[in-house]
Amino acid sequence: MATNVPQSPQESEPDASLLVQTRGLTKRYGGLTAVDDLDLSVRRGEVYGFLGPNGAGKTTTLKMLLGLVRPSGGSARVLDRSPGTPGGLAKIGALVESPAFYPYLSGTNNLKVMARYSGVPNGRVAEVLEAVELEAVELSGRAKSRYKKYSLGMKQRLGVAAALLKDPDLLILDEPTNGLDPKGVADMRSLIRRLGTGERTVLLSSHLLGEVEQVCDRIGVIHKGKLISEGAVADLRGGGALVVRAEPMEEAARIAERLEGVEGVEATDGVLRLKTDPGRAAEINAKLVSAGLRVSELRPAERSLEDAFLEMTGGETV
Amino acid sequence: MGASFRAESLKLRNRPAVWILGLVWLGLAVVLGYVAVYAFVANAPPPPVPQDVPEQERARIQQQERQFQEQQLQSLLPENALSGALSSFANLGAAVALILGALVVGGEYGWGTLKTIVTQRPNRPQVFAGKLLALLAALAVFAVLILAASAAASYAVASLQESPVDWPPAGEFARALGAGVLILALWAALGVFLATLFRSTALAVGLGLVYLLVLEVLVLSLPIPNETYRNAGRFFPGQNSTFLANSFAGGGAVGGPGQPTGAGQAALVVAAYAIALVVLAALIFRRRDVA
Repeated sequence: MATNVPQSPQESEPDASLLVQTRGLTKRYGGLTAVDDLDLSVRRGEVYGFLGPNGAGKTTTLKMLLGLVRPSGGSARVLDRSPGTPGGLAKIGALVESPAFYPYLSGTNNLKVMARYSGVPNGRVAEVLEAVELEAVELSGRAKSRYKKYSLGMKQRLGVAAALLKDPDLLILDEPTNGLDPKGVADMRSLIRRLGTGERTVLLSSHLLGEVEQVCDRIGVIHKGKLISEGAVADLRGGGALVVRAEPMEEAARIAERLEGVEGVEATDGVLRLKTDPGRAAEINAKLVSAGLRVSELRPAERSLEDAFLEMTGGETV
Repeated sequence: MGASFRAESLKLRNRPAVWILGLVWLGLAVVLGYVAVYAFVANAPPPPVPQDVPEQERARIQQQERQFQEQQLQSLLPENALSGALSSFANLGAAVALILGALVVGGEYGWGTLKTIVTQRPNRPQVFAGKLLALLAALAVFAVLILAASAAASYAVASLQESPVDWPPAGEFARALGAGVLILALWAALGVFLATLFRSTALAVGLGLVYLLVLEVLVLSLPIPNETYRNAGRFFPGQNSTFLANSFAGGGAVGGPGQPTGAGQAALVVAAYAIALVVLAALIFRRRDVA
């Protein structure tokens, strides 16, 4: 049993642009700390990728945000409410872990049951089925079959349909492409991108780098229960470096090493990689040109997200 | 809570296990309580009496047998429909209610659907209250069906026997319905409590049936020559629900050592157990993490 802790954060300065905000959120199971002092910020209208290896604490965090699990410490605000309150849940759609429905009911009847719990009219069931069917045609013919006969892909789609019943402001999806075939993965990503347009905010948990890279605006990386990085995808891939192609290269390397703010210079594949703030590109370009060098390329260095992730986690893969 | 009740009702109506349980109880209550008894009594041959028994003694034995058969047939007639119906509530009905209570809660843990429904909108107490209300409604429907089936079967027996049809007063029907629902509610509450505690249907059904069918009887039959121990029987749920069910038999149930003193006391004890089990289950349901 979790200990009693306040679930509302100490809000000295509430930020209206944040739909999800946690401060020092912690969950311990006996001696195991599943989530450790987590500060998470999800902005209104963005598709936020919650990235981490299996067992990093993603699902536990999402469960705390939904009020399913009580935190051992810290606080969380979701849609400016404590997690799990009916007022907040009325605007949240969620698919946590694997989809879970009643096997003896059809997909349609499962959605009707959820519609009754949610307090939305039955007419909404047809709308959400249509919404997910745009990219998952096979569900339409099977909506009246019993859920236990559904394929995993259809179950995932039904889970997304249930999450959409309330036309939520915040959509929380936990590994929604798990177990899908390649077409199903592509369909689901396309669906998520579409759902994330406009005012709706999507919090997408995944251990797939390519998935969050394709779908998300910003990413939070969780590792062993701790948030180790948070920012835009481009920022995380950039990693604070510039790529410079200049002639003669040896002279360019000597000058670059002496420049203020450049912490290192590495020559690879005919270009120089300068470890510095990419925002200083214009200044560095001016200095190289004034030294008589011919600069043909100057751009922020971009690592693959996988490289960035490996660097952040000390080599542990997802 | 209304939304949760409607959602739960939809689930119960469409769940095959609910219909199967109800039909099994209904079938057994009619077949074992009426069809089998009538077939046996109506077609029973005269008892074998040894040839060397004097004629006067032979006549006395045959007279006793005829009286026994008449009593058996009498118990199947409409005037005794309530006692016939209620007799199945404290055993077969109790087992059905216990299984149903365990299914209603345990299924949510087994399928992982609890996380799906408590993230929809209602808070946990509303979800739980909706479940209990829907369960109670289903049990009430079961009770009405069993009473109606018993009444129909007793009417059929009366027609076959060409006996007059004398129904119990309407008030007795209402009292029997209330007592029946109360008995079912107690055992369903035990199923709900065990399923919530263990987050499992199978364990809840297993333990519940062990208590219902074996444990209480075993404990109360221990040869302990102690007055307090013998009197403790009147506070056990099984003793009270059986007493309450038997109170509709002709002349009512008879209280003895370890037995409730009356139907009123039995009803109070049964209700107290049902409420206590539901409150405990609700506290666990509300407080515990949904893993």
